[in-house]
Amino acid sequence: MKNWYHSWRAAIRIARRDAWRFKGRSFLVLAMLALPIVGVSGADLTQRSSELSPAQQLDRDLGKADAAIHDPGLGGAALMQNPKGDNYQPAKEYGDSEPWPEGKTDITAALPAGAKYLVDTTGMAKLKTAHGLRNTSVRELKAADPMAEGIMVLDRGRFPRKPGEVAATNAFLESSGLYVGSKLTARGLDTTYRIVGAYELPDDLKEAQVNALPGALLAPLDKVLAAAELPGTDASDSYLATVPGGAGFTWNMVEETNTKGVTVTSRAVTLNPPPDSEVALYQKDGWSSHGDNSSGNATELAILSTVVGLVMLEICLLAGPAFAVGARRSRRQLGLVGANGGDRHHIRAIVLSGGLVIGVVAAVVGTALGIALTFAFRPVLEGVLGQRFGSFDVRPLELLGIALLAVVTGLLAAIVPAVTASRQTVVASLTGRRGIRKANRVLPIVGLTAVVLGAGIALYGSAVSDKAIIVGGGSALAELGVVALTPTLVGLFGRIGRWLPLSPRLALRDAVRNRGRTAPAVAAVLAAVAGTVAVATYSASSDAQSEARYEPRLPHGAVAILSPESAVDVPSMRDDTQKLLPTDVRADVDRVVVGKKSCSAYGGGDDCGRYEIVRPKAYECPLWMYDASGEDPAEKYSKAERRELSKDWRCLQNDYGIGSEGGEILIGDDRLLKVLKIDDPGASEALANGRAVSFVKQNIVPDGADKGAGKGGATTAATTAANSVAAPQDGANGTIGVRLISAEDVDEADAAGMKGEEPPGTVKSIPAHQVAGGQNAYGVTMIVPPKAAEKAGFTTVPLGSFFSTERQPSDAQEQRLNGELAKTGSDSTLTIEKGFTPENSGTLLALAVFAGLVTIGAAGIATGLAQADAEPDLKTLAAVGAPTRVRKALSGFQCGVVAAMGVVLGSASGILPAIGLRFTERRAEEAMYAEALDEGWGAWQDVTAPFVPVVIPWATLGMLLVVVPLGAALLAALVTRSRGALARRAVI
Amino acid sequence: MPDQASHPVLQLKELTRVHGSGATEVHALRGINLDVFPGELVAVMGPSGSGKSTLLTIAGGLDTPTSGQVIVENTDLTTAGRKQIAALRRRSIGYVFQDYNLIPALTAAENVALPRELDGTSARKARAEAVAALREMDLDQLADRFPDEMSGGQQQRVAIARALVGDRRLVLADEPTGALDSETGESVLALLRSRCDAGAAGVLVTHEPRFAAWADRVVFLRDGAVVDQTIRSDAASLLTGQAAER
Repeated sequence: MKNWYHSWRAAIRIARRDAWRFKGRSFLVLAMLALPIVGVSGADLTQRSSELSPAQQLDRDLGKADAAIHDPGLGGAALMQNPKGDNYQPAKEYGDSEPWPEGKTDITAALPAGAKYLVDTTGMAKLKTAHGLRNTSVRELKAADPMAEGIMVLDRGRFPRKPGEVAATNAFLESSGLYVGSKLTARGLDTTYRIVGAYELPDDLKEAQVNALPGALLAPLDKVLAAAELPGTDASDSYLATVPGGAGFTWNMVEETNTKGVTVTSRAVTLNPPPDSEVALYQKDGWSSHGDNSSGNATELAILSTVVGLVMLEICLLAGPAFAVGARRSRRQLGLVGANGGDRHHIRAIVLSGGLVIGVVAAVVGTALGIALTFAFRPVLEGVLGQRFGSFDVRPLELLGIALLAVVTGLLAAIVPAVTASRQTVVASLTGRRGIRKANRVLPIVGLTAVVLGAGIALYGSAVSDKAIIVGGGSALAELGVVALTPTLVGLFGRIGRWLPLSPRLALRDAVRNRGRTAPAVAAVLAAVAGTVAVATYSASSDAQSEARYEPRLPHGAVAILSPESAVDVPSMRDDTQKLLPTDVRADVDRVVVGKKSCSAYGGGDDCGRYEIVRPKAYECPLWMYDASGEDPAEKYSKAERRELSKDWRCLQNDYGIGSEGGEILIGDDRLLKVLKIDDPGASEALANGRAVSFVKQNIVPDGADKGAGKGGATTAATTAANSVAAPQDGANGTIGVRLISAEDVDEADAAGMKGEEPPGTVKSIPAHQVAGGQNAYGVTMIVPPKAAEKAGFTTVPLGSFFSTERQPSDAQEQRLNGELAKTGSDSTLTIEKGFTPENSGTLLALAVFAGLVTIGAAGIATGLAQADAEPDLKTLAAVGAPTRVRKALSGFQCGVVAAMGVVLGSASGILPAIGLRFTERRAEEAMYAEALDEGWGAWQDVTAPFVPVVIPWATLGMLLVVVPLGAALLAALVTRSRGALARRAVI
Repeated sequence: MPDQASHPVLQLKELTRVHGSGATEVHALRGINLDVFPGELVAVMGPSGSGKSTLLTIAGGLDTPTSGQVIVENTDLTTAGRKQIAALRRRSIGYVFQDYNLIPALTAAENVALPRELDGTSARKARAEAVAALREMDLDQLADRFPDEMSGGQQQRVAIARALVGDRRLVLADEPTGALDSETGESVLALLRSRCDAGAAGVLVTHEPRFAAWADRVVFLRDGAVVDQTIRSDAASLLTGQAAER
C-alpha cells in the first residue's frame, strides 16, 4: 500500500538524524523554541495551581466550620444578603434622607439553636518588636480548636493555650526580629505574652499577624488605650459556627439568621447556591448575581495573545535562518534525494521535518522543564504569590496546547527555507552552483498592500476615531507588510553600494544578492526594534505628559511630616525629621478636633464630631449647590452656562498638595508661610496680629460685604448663575465662619447637608486675611494662629511639621528617617518634594537592551550564513592579494549591514504607530475635556486643556541606530578569524 | 548481452541543448541520437566540455533539452510534467555520481530503500526490498552501516544497488569510479556490468578507456556531437593490460 505518510516518515528520519549530527545548531534552535514553552507552561501551572476551588477557598476561610457569621453593624435590623454573604442591604427600604440603622449586633443571639461556635475577633495593635513598634493585625481565635483547622497552618511550636500566650505568622516573626519563645507586648500594655508558635495563613503568606486566645489581648489593650485617650484597636467580632444535623448551614437558616441583622458565609450555600429567584436581594433593583466583569479577561487574553504572537514571530524570524543554514549545508543531500526521485514536496518535507523534529523535542523538553521547575520551585513561587497552591493542578490539554506552540513555531520557521530549498534545481544542488534566485514578485505586492491598508487604518484611527485598537491593529498590519517588503527594501539599500569602499561594498552587495538569508534576519531586527521604538516613543511621550501635568505637593525640596490619625507620636517624629534631614525652617502645625483629643482628622469614631467652614451661599459654586429636591444642581443649566460657570471664580478648585492632609484648618504661624514660600507681607502681619490667613476666596466674607451672604439666605442658585458675584479682593480682611458639629449632631448635620439645609452646630467667627492671589498654597485652606484658635475655643492637637531644607534630602537620608519612623509604629506620612521623576526610564533601558540583543543575535546568525557562503569569494580575494584583515572587515560589515538595515527600518515603522496612538489619545482626551466642560465637571476635575505631546526618545533611538549596529559590527569582526582555513560558521 | 529485439529503455532523438543566448550562447549538445537496450551498458567518452554530463542529466530528466526527445520506458520526458519525471526517477531511472552518492543521515539499507519510501511504499516493505537488493549484490553485511562507516568503493556499490532497487532498469552513472583507486574502480564496474547482464540498461560517463572497455558500446562526444561509435569488440581493441584480457 502506498501512502503519502510513508514518504514523510523517510523525511522525518533524515531530519531527525541530521538534527543529531549538527548538535550545536539544533541546540540553538531547540533553546529558542523551548524557552518560551518553559515560561508559559510554568506560568500556566502556577496560575492553575494557585486558583482555588470554592471548596478549597472555604477550607481556608472557615476551617471545618459550617459558616462564618458577621455583624455588618446595622444594629440588629433585618437584612437580606447574597448567597456568598459578601453583599447585603437592610430588608427595609430607607429613603435618601433617612440614614441606615447603625450599631452592634449580638451575633450569639442570632445563631440557630444547638449551634456550636468560636469567636473570631480581629483588630490592630502597636506591638513592640526588636526594632521598635509595628502596627500589626491581631486575630483572637482559638486556632487549636478542630473547628478552626485549616485557617491557620502551624509551622512550629503550638497555638496559644493560655491567655499569656500568642502565636505569630512567619511574616511577622521575620519582620519583627522576634522568634518562638520571645516575649511580646503592645504599647501601653503592662502584660507580656510569650510567643509559643509560628504559623502561616495559606491565603496570605505575607500577612504579619499575631494570634491570641479570645479576649486575651485586644480587650485589655482597648481599655488601656481608651483611658489614655488614644485610638483603639478597632476590634470587630465574627463567629465560626457548626450546626447540628449534617446538612450544614442551609439557605433557609441563612435567611432566618439574616432577620436578626447578621450576614452568613455558609459552606453549604456557597457550594450549592439557591436559584436567583429564591434570593430576596436579587429581586431588588440594581442587584443581580452576575457581577463578574469578563471584559477584563478578554483584554488580558488579547494582550497575552499579542505577546505570544509577537514572540512566535520573533522566534520564527530568528530560527528561520538557522533552518536556512541547515538546508544550504545539506544542499547536496537534498539534490541526491531529487536525483532519486524526490519531488519538490519531498524536499519541502525534509526541511519542514527539521522544524517539526526540533519543535516536538522543544515541546517535550520545554513542557517537562516547565513542570519540573514549577514543582521544584513551588515554595518560592508560593512565596512570590503570597499564597499556598490549592493543589498541583496539571491541566494536560492546556499544556498540550502550549507545547503545540513550539511545534507550530518550528514548522513556521522552516517554511521559507523549505520552499526556497525545494525550488533549487537538482543539478544546481548537486553541483553546488551558487545560483541567485530572482526575487519573489508576489511578496512585495502583498507587503505594499498591507502597508498601505494598515497605514490607512491607523491613519483613520488616529485622525477620525478615538479607539486605540484601530491604530494598534492598523499599525500591526502595516508592520507585517514592512516585514514582507523587507527583501525589496534590502534591494533598495544595495543602490548605495557604489559609493562605498571595498569591504562594505562587498558586504552590502552580498547581503542584497542573498536576500533569502538577509531578509529574515533584517525582519527579525526590524520587528524587535519597531516594538521597542514604539513603546519607547509612547512612554517618553507619556512621561512628558505626566511631567507637564505634575503638580508638586510642596515647594521643591520642602518636607512635610504629618500624622493626621494620632497625635501621640508627633513630637518624636518632628524631632527625628529635624535631626536626620538637612532641614532649615521648621514650622510646627496643629489641627482642630471636635470631641476627644484622640479623634482622627478624617472624622468618624465614637465621640468624635467634626468642623466645617461655613462658606457664604453666594460664594458657592452653583453647579454643586444641592437643594431640598436632591436633584443634580448642574442639570438646571445649559451647556453654555455650565462652560461659563466652570470658569467662574466660585467654581475654581483649591490648589493640590499635602496641605489638606490635616483638615481645612492648620494651626500655625509665620514660619509655615516661609516654608510654603507665600510671598505676602500682609499675611505674616495678619498672623502676628492674631488673624487667620485664608487661601480660598470662597470662604472669606470681606468686612463690609453683604452679611446676608454669610448666612446664605438671600441669594438663590438661579440668580447667582446669571449674575456672578464679585470675588473678595486680594489682601482683603474679613471673617471666616467655622461650624463645630458635636459627635451627637453629626448624623443630623449629614442629613441637613443632603437637603441643602442649615446643619446644627456652633459657628465661630474668625477674623481673617485673604492672601494675595496667584500663589500656590499646596492645598492649605487656611492658617489660624494659635492665639486665634485659643480665642475661638478650638481644641487642638499636634499634627506634624513642615520644613524647608538647605538641600534636597538624599535617598539614604530619607530611608534612615523612614526606618526611624517605623520604629515608633506611627501612621505618619513623610512627604519630600523632589519634583517630577519619570516612571518609564527603567522600561526604556530594558527595552533598548532587549532590542540590542535581538539585533546582535539576528545579525550574528546572518553573518554566520554569509561567511559560510562567502568562502569562495574570500579565497578569490586572498588569491588576488587582499590582506587578511579583509576577512574580518567583511564579516564586520556584513553584520553591521544587517543590523543597520534592521534598525533603520524598525525605527521608522516603530515611531509611526506610537505617534498615531498619541494622536488618538489626544482626541480622546479632548473629547473628554469638552464633555467635562459641557457637563460642568470641568470645575472640579482638571480644568486645564489636555496636553498630549509626542516626544521622540532620542537617547534610545541614538543607541539603536548608532551604537547597536556599530557594536554588532565590531563584535562580528572580533570573533571572525582572519585565516581562511578556520572560517567555520561561528554562530550557527 | 543487449536485447536488441526488445524496445529500448532509453531513446534520445535529435537532442540539442543550448546554454545561454546571444553572445553567451553555448551548444552543449547538437542533435544526439542514442538508443540503450535492456542488458546493454553504453559508455560515453569525450574530452572536458564535450557534453557528457549534460547528456546524462538530460537523459535522467534533471535538465530539459532545448529540442529533441528523451524517451524513458515509453515516456517522453520532454512533454512529461515535473511530478511525472520525479516519479519516473523513483521507479525507472537510477543515478550514480562520482562521489558522495549516499545520504549521510541514512544507513545503507535506508539509502537503498529511499526511492521506494518516497514512492509511498511502507518503510518495512521498502527495507525488505532494499536488503534483498543488497544481498543480491553481496552487500547485505553493509545494510546497517552509515555512509561515513563505509569505504568509497562500498559507498559506490551501495549507490548502484540503490539505482536498481525495485523495478528500475536504467542506471545513469557519471564517472562512478572517479574518486576511487583503480582496483576498487574495477570492482564497482564489475558490479555495474553484472547488473546490466542481469537485464538492466546502463549509461556510463567516463574518460578512462579501461573502464569504457566494460561497456557493450562506446560513444565518443566532441563539442556536443557524436563523432564515433564502437561496438564491444572494437572497444576491446582500444584496451590495454588486464582489461583487454576480459
